[in-house]
Amino acid sequence: MKKLLGVALGILTAIGGFVDIGDLVTNAVVGSRFGLSLVWVVLVGVVGICLFASMSGRVAAVSGRATFEIVRERLGPRAAGANLAASFAINLLTLTAEVGGIALALHLASSVEPRLWIPVAALAVWLVLWRVKFDVMENVAGLMGLLLVGFAVALFLLGPDWGELVRQAVPPSPPATEHVATYWYYAVALFGAAMTPYEVFFFSSGAVEEGWTAKDLAQNRVNVLVGFPLGGLLSVAIAACAAVVLLPAGIEVSSLSQIVLPVAQAGGTLLLAVVIVGIVAATFGAALETALSSGYTLAQYLGWSWGKFRRPARAARFHLSMIVALLLAVGILMTSVDPIQVTEMSVVFSAVALPLTYVPILLVANDPEYMGEHVNGRVVNALGTVYLVVVCVAAVAAIPLMIATGAGS
Amino acid sequence: MSDERHEREVVGTRVVDARLHLLSRQVLDVDGEPVTTVDDLEVRAPDGGEAVPGEEAWVSAIVGWPVLVTRVLGGHPPRARRAEVAWSDVGHVGTAVELTVTADTLDVGWTERWVRDHVVGRIPGGRHDPEAGS
Repeated sequence: MKKLLGVALGILTAIGGFVDIGDLVTNAVVGSRFGLSLVWVVLVGVVGICLFASMSGRVAAVSGRATFEIVRERLGPRAAGANLAASFAINLLTLTAEVGGIALALHLASSVEPRLWIPVAALAVWLVLWRVKFDVMENVAGLMGLLLVGFAVALFLLGPDWGELVRQAVPPSPPATEHVATYWYYAVALFGAAMTPYEVFFFSSGAVEEGWTAKDLAQNRVNVLVGFPLGGLLSVAIAACAAVVLLPAGIEVSSLSQIVLPVAQAGGTLLLAVVIVGIVAATFGAALETALSSGYTLAQYLGWSWGKFRRPARAARFHLSMIVALLLAVGILMTSVDPIQVTEMSVVFSAVALPLTYVPILLVANDPEYMGEHVNGRVVNALGTVYLVVVCVAAVAAIPLMIATGAGS
Repeated sequence: MSDERHEREVVGTRVVDARLHLLSRQVLDVDGEPVTTVDDLEVRAPDGGEAVPGEEAWVSAIVGWPVLVTRVLGGHPPRARRAEVAWSDVGHVGTAVELTVTADTLDVGWTERWVRDHVVGRIPGGRHDPEAGS
């Protein structure tokens, strides 16, 4: 019974922890402009993140080595250094977006100026990183994030024409009003949002934090293979809500209040309140994960002591880098930059940085010195190779598409 | 040792490829706490003098992070600024290099100790054990 509860808890946290500000914003923007015609990208992205998150979790559980240690070991100091610079910058951008997201959601709930919420949000994030036990942190944020299911409830309450939604999704084709390049630009953005590299940094390091061993592999697999796809369904629900309400009204999403407009319309104040709590929890959880990831990547590349399971004084440089990352995020937000725009940038640049992280994971998952009998099977390797090609194409196409479409405008 | 050269060395009966099995690996202290990465290796003659090409040479030390900058950008750091772990402190070479001493006794740990003593240790709760609950 206790074991079953553990499995259920793991799955629920994976669902609630899947959606972050990147998924929220990108899905709503895409839904309001393209209907469900890009839903296939979410599907491709979810399969990809399942594949590589479970692979990095397996490597960490079996060998005790987290993802960026492997990146450093396989790519050497130069290429891994380039990856570190890129990943750290994108991670900082994502952290900025998440902290901004918390502030925007609290602003919606309280009508207190977001800039007043930013330092409060960042301080709260730091206090949790400083003080709270790793599994408590992960479970509370994940379970509260489940409240985002309000988007799915709203979709049913809206009573959409389901046939029309399916027609938008299959066969996928860009709406007549949008340029093909813009369609592909958002396809790359959506893919980057689903496969953001910080998720594998966090997932593999979390496995080390929680002291996983080869015995926990089955649980790891179930969490990922059940939790992430259900989390992906939440993403689709967000896009579908936007497609039903915002697309016909010609509203292009540029603020959080527009993202939650369909929820307010369908379920009134009560459902809106539920979803706002969900957004606060989801962005707060993701802010924790990205702040930790900035510490993980730096510490693992340079061989520093790291981990929330140690006393902060026993992982001093790791904790100091997280503090610096949070201060930088607050500094960026205080320039009045729009967190929604920061988010849109961060998901596209995520797509650019993907290959340098995913190649070493795939290599090490096949290395018997690390993995013993737990090396990749043929199916996983075949899928992994296919995804490497997809990831490389997306990475190469991202910047040219961004320039050609004026960042999707 | 230059980045491009492969040094092979026998540990027990196992052949260890320096590039593949040593460089850029994590170094853990006797308690499993990360100390540094293997950023470079120092090679010396068996009598402790300069390694002479064509004659026998041993790995004498693991060289820590200040050398990383010059390994990426080129050049050599001055000897006084090098942080080393003597090879005699190495207990096991696996997917990580495990030492037989604690991190606090090593020179390479000084930045960690500096940040601990001057910054993180001074913030309230900095020495609190998170696993013990709040």
